[in-house]
Amino acid sequence: MLRVAAEVNNLVTIRRFVREAATALAAPAETIDHLVLAVDESATNIIMHGYRGQAGEIEIEIHRAQDAVVIYLRDQAPPFDPTRLPAPDVTLPLEQRPIGGLGVYLTRQLVDSVTHCLTSQGGNELTLTKKIEAFHPPTTGGTL
Amino acid sequence: MNMTSEQIQARVPVTILRLQGDVDGSNFQQVIDRARELYQAGARHLLVDLAGVPYMSSSGLVALHNIALLFRGSTPPDPQEGWRAIRAMGDASAEGLQPHVKLLNPQPRVVHVLDQTGLTAFFEIHTEQAAAIGSF
Repeated sequence: MLRVAAEVNNLVTIRRFVREAATALAAPAETIDHLVLAVDESATNIIMHGYRGQAGEIEIEIHRAQDAVVIYLRDQAPPFDPTRLPAPDVTLPLEQRPIGGLGVYLTRQLVDSVTHCLTSQGGNELTLTKKIEAFHPPTTGGTL
Repeated sequence: MNMTSEQIQARVPVTILRLQGDVDGSNFQQVIDRARELYQAGARHLLVDLAGVPYMSSSGLVALHNIALLFRGSTPPDPQEGWRAIRAMGDASAEGLQPHVKLLNPQPRVVHVLDQTGLTAFFEIHTEQAAAIGSF
């Protein structure tokens, strides 16, 4: 698990953590690239549009389910559910486009599911799930 | 991330902006600011060398688009405004390849992000510097 201050300068640390953790879980290389980008986009949104410059932390946990890698991003920013943002409908009037939706759009392209819930502490928990057709051996499960 | 620039005299003066390192939410504004400085100093044709950029998030895309609009003489959207910015990209890409800002040697991961957002239809991408400079 990684816990860092919600600052853009920590994005490189977040990316390194995801890459190392997904590699340790034997995910394929292309999947790792997608996970790194999806988490970066999600964390950037939390920092810029969740905390909005206020101090706070982001907690990231990665584990392997039977046929997927599951990543949790938790924060204590004001409740915000990015999955409720409108789908990237290019016919939508410009003024109705939610700010910050670009990162969510890319994230949705890169993983199989994005879900949000509130934590018992009132913060946000974003769950990214990416199905893996063929993990590299060894095939032991785990959590990082 | 490091940035350097040089000017090459071809059919028209071409400024090369070389980026080195990841482009993400921590530094994309620096890229925009550097390009704005070059524009204000008189640059009108910009080749962005991405050979040294192993990773780019959507923040980097917003920077590239912002720079393209700047060099087209348009007012760039607020780079913090996510979909508003990408919508503006869509408006611009409908016009086809734009002539003032071109990309040199993006790495595969960066090309993937450009593809995901449809920006390969917006930016002319070159793999050889001489050909890129001659294309302006």
